[in-house]
Amino acid sequence: MAFREINSKMVEATVLPGQRLFSQRGAMLAYRGDVSFTPNVQGGQGGLMSMLGRRVTGEATPLMSVEGSGTVFFGHGGHHVHVIHLTGDTLYVEADRLLAFEGTLRQGTMFMGSQGGVMGLVRGQVTGQGLFTTTLQGQGSVAVMAHGGVFEIPITPQHPVHVDPQAYVAHHGEVRNKLSAALGWREMVGRGSGEAFQLELSGSGTVFVQASEEKL
Amino acid sequence: MSTYGTPGAGPTGPVVHDPMTLPADDNVNAYTFCVELKSGQWFLQKGKMIAYYGAIEFNGIGHGRLDRLVRTSFHSPLHASDWVVAEGSGRMLLADRAFDVNSYDLDDGNLTIRAGNLLAFQPSLALKQSIVPGFLTLIGTGKFVAASNGPVVFMEPPIRVDPQALVGWADCPSPCHHYDHGYLTGVLGGLRAMTGLGGVSGEEHQFEFVGAGTVLLQSSESLMDETATGAVPAEPGVPGGGVPGPGGHGQQPPGAPRLPGQLGDLQRRFGL
Repeated sequence: MAFREINSKMVEATVLPGQRLFSQRGAMLAYRGDVSFTPNVQGGQGGLMSMLGRRVTGEATPLMSVEGSGTVFFGHGGHHVHVIHLTGDTLYVEADRLLAFEGTLRQGTMFMGSQGGVMGLVRGQVTGQGLFTTTLQGQGSVAVMAHGGVFEIPITPQHPVHVDPQAYVAHHGEVRNKLSAALGWREMVGRGSGEAFQLELSGSGTVFVQASEEKL
Repeated sequence: MSTYGTPGAGPTGPVVHDPMTLPADDNVNAYTFCVELKSGQWFLQKGKMIAYYGAIEFNGIGHGRLDRLVRTSFHSPLHASDWVVAEGSGRMLLADRAFDVNSYDLDDGNLTIRAGNLLAFQPSLALKQSIVPGFLTLIGTGKFVAASNGPVVFMEPPIRVDPQALVGWADCPSPCHHYDHGYLTGVLGGLRAMTGLGGVSGEEHQFEFVGAGTVLLQSSESLMDETATGAVPAEPGVPGGGVPGPGGHGQQPPGAPRLPGQLGDLQRRFGL
């Protein structure tokens, strides 16, 4: 368990020799010990192709790798920080929400259009998340940022969860997500409820929701 | 599950306060502090009072009978106009744009704090300009209230702190600059520095604290607005005194240290 929440906006990470962390550039608040921060050209893990993939898909967020031995404190922009522990499953999260994650996690990029077809594409447009999202897979922990506090909602096959696309932070598990639109004539004449688009998550897993509709 | 406590609000809804139940010299919630005045005085920054009970008068400093306060409590007359004296009996609430607010007790101690973070203090403390530009030092015994972007965390030295995350320090020897630029050396690093490929990590520059004391950190890198600390005498040997205002080249500009950003800046600094 590399990350420890100090308060709602700050995490402490222990860096040991041979164990690498990745973090968003500029997100270090303080450190103890002998720790080096190297800007990561590739923007994460994987080879050259992964890097190109991230560049092309716009999921390349400026990362730096943190190595050495000591303690590092992370926080960024006054955003709330939430630590998620992964035990072998895959976390889907936008790259710019990643504050820090352990080097043991495999980083990938996923095409959102592959889930939900055309609505998947519309989803990317509506939520402003784009068509691609970052995946992290393996054993380790991730610190994600959110505007406002984060809470978890379990998703079970019987109970699909609807989330406002702007309040969605991340999800993990065997989850299908699709954008459900409730567009009617009211939306057309500008008298909509403002909740025309919702993200419907079904399957089994967990979705992380922020207590705000403001994006990072 | 995450902890996202709603300060001040129990499960039954928001707590309604009246003059009796308001805490005396304590936080009402994470963002509001209540000061109890018993025919006493408090100094507060202009515009930070949000409500009060009782008979409290707010006066600017440096006019008429309050003139001697400048002499006894401020010691640096040039920024006293940013401060207000609250006088009377009652309870007043202090807040600053929903930033986290905390009170600190000094017992015959000293604490240096970024000028923008200090909200209010008891007149038993003396407020002085720090030698470090942009910082103020409080000396003596008493209570003061400071705001921060995110809760304040206390750390023991030795520690290196991001300049934007530093709120202040107590009983510490003055901080010094520390540069991490190991990745800009060597063949690959030189190439990186020359071409700009790969960017910078944004963590090349820290403040380093050693020795015994406490360092105060805020949980974010968003600085509070700067407030004037007043000019220092323009004498040789006074930091920030020679060339007023930032922008002076050739020497480290006073006030905020140069942020790592442009590569040319880095190269110049590291002599590459």
